[in-house]
Amino acid sequence: MTPNMRRLPIMLITALLLAALAACGGHGPLEKAVRGMLVSGDTTRASYDSLCSIVTGDPGRYGDMLTPDGRVDHKRMAELIEHIGSALRPPMHWDTRPYGGVDDLSLTVYFERSGSMVPYDQRGGGGQLKKAVNDLINHFPAGSKVDINIVNDGIYPYQHTVDEFLQDRDIYQSTAGTGDASYTDFQLIFNKILEAQRPGNVSVLVSDLIYSPQDTRGVSLDKIFNEENSLATRVFARYKGKSVVVQQFMGDYSGKYYPYNGIPFEYQGKRPFYLVIIADSDVMDQLAQDKRYSGVLDAPAVRNSYRFNQGTSEVECRVLPEWKDNAGRFRVKHGEGIVLAKCDGDRQTGKLCFSLAANLGTLLKDDALLTNAANYNVQSIDGYTLTVQPIDPGMFTANNKEYLEGMTHVLTLVGDLKSPRDEVRITLRNELPAWVRQSSSTSDISATGSFATTTLGLEQLLGGMFDAMRGGDSLFDITIQLQR
Amino acid sequence: MKHITYLIIGIAVTVVFFILSCTDGFNIYEQLFFNQGFNDKMYNLNMYPVIAAITIAVAWGGAAIYYYAINSVKFDRWYHWLAVLGVVAVLTPVVCYIYNDSVFASNGLMYVGESIQFEMQTVLFAALLFIVASFSMRWWSSNCRHTPLPQ
Repeated sequence: MTPNMRRLPIMLITALLLAALAACGGHGPLEKAVRGMLVSGDTTRASYDSLCSIVTGDPGRYGDMLTPDGRVDHKRMAELIEHIGSALRPPMHWDTRPYGGVDDLSLTVYFERSGSMVPYDQRGGGGQLKKAVNDLINHFPAGSKVDINIVNDGIYPYQHTVDEFLQDRDIYQSTAGTGDASYTDFQLIFNKILEAQRPGNVSVLVSDLIYSPQDTRGVSLDKIFNEENSLATRVFARYKGKSVVVQQFMGDYSGKYYPYNGIPFEYQGKRPFYLVIIADSDVMDQLAQDKRYSGVLDAPAVRNSYRFNQGTSEVECRVLPEWKDNAGRFRVKHGEGIVLAKCDGDRQTGKLCFSLAANLGTLLKDDALLTNAANYNVQSIDGYTLTVQPIDPGMFTANNKEYLEGMTHVLTLVGDLKSPRDEVRITLRNELPAWVRQSSSTSDISATGSFATTTLGLEQLLGGMFDAMRGGDSLFDITIQLQR
Repeated sequence: MKHITYLIIGIAVTVVFFILSCTDGFNIYEQLFFNQGFNDKMYNLNMYPVIAAITIAVAWGGAAIYYYAINSVKFDRWYHWLAVLGVVAVLTPVVCYIYNDSVFASNGLMYVGESIQFEMQTVLFAALLFIVASFSMRWWSSNCRHTPLPQ
């Protein structure tokens, strides 16, 4: 045997060990760092900045992640993060839009100045209306473009600065004489708002949402309601790709109330008012997910809210492998939708019970709607039943943290495992929520009964918007394949 | 040439083992023991390739020590070889467990029972790889080339 032949086995074994070492450390520092951050949940601005430092620190290796002027290409970075995150178990997402590459959203406030709005901001009241608007403006990052308009029979620019608006203790006093406060032309206002809206803009109408057209003397209430309903449908149906969130607040009201029959009366007490947030659907999604805007859609003072959606939304879901309610056995198949393979029923009961953590927050629906199983349709061969519960911090353990993080609800399904293959389909029905009907009245001629919590014709107005923007029968659709 | 063929086959088997330990769809470590939460963490924390590398290093290292370092006529009986296999089969899960435990602990995770069950399969893989390594490299040992089976 020649000396070269003798050395061959050692060379081959060395090559094997080197190959193993190379395979173990085969990913670059950027990929390793992204994976580590996703797995540990360390998805902060500081972490993102450290990723950018890795890229800028080694332009030779990461040249394709840089723009021609040597800055980090945030779009490429987002793609890399998405690529690595989607290969994890469960797939993980990191919204890096706030850290670069996306312009700030602009805000346009339309402040209704009709006769019935003035008593919401009296000096002796709690100032909830003004606070809601101030909070809205303050929840936009400093430097965002903010415009304020006064609306009634038309739209009039607010003549002072945003800072002056925020400090104004009597907004209706300082805007006295602007437009005709005796009626509110919703058709004109909504049309103007939707027409004027540019990409990246969020428009908010602050209003009591009482339809009060000019000269309603002698007109039946049914006729007014029908007109209001048609108006809302007609206006919103014309503008595709829009999303609207209606938030209901309660505020102190002190002063004259102008009912539909034209005989005003004094009222002191609580009254609902509304913020109607209008934006392109993708902007509304950003508003819901981008942490820079937290507080805009989830302000603590919001009593009820509803997002008028355009069709079915994508809902992020993760199967919970370790959950108190799980019964029987299953194995999650990765990369093919939600597939549970090798399913086996519980030894004693024969039932299969599994849970999904889902992020229903992007739907912007209230918890009462989301946690009521009656609002869902569940279709399957073996008759699975559904329960929904909100996620609270007490549910987190070290081992299930990465499944629950970023999710809002746990969907638990239980059924008798009989069929060799089954398909469980969960849909949340797209219906106007119960609070709209409960907050709507058909008469406001006196301050009796539920006057303090209801708005005349709210159901008709929001019903018209719902009909215009209803994209489908379900708000989201999840399918789970079960295989024995 | 026959001996080189054995060596190449041994290396090929080991490389295939390593590749199958890194894949997502069919992972060799998820065939004998499976616990969704535990296995997902093993995958996300990139532990499978390291566990496989430890198994390969201990198995091939053990065989190399036996055939080239020990390499003595005093220890050329089949039971001497079997004793080294036993050491490899015990050492591998111990090292893997220490590694697993340290990674889980540094990530604030608790998988003691699952880790112990998981390491049982590294006993099997280490023993098989030790046999593969033995038949790959024994031919160039001056004193133990006939162990465990005379050729």
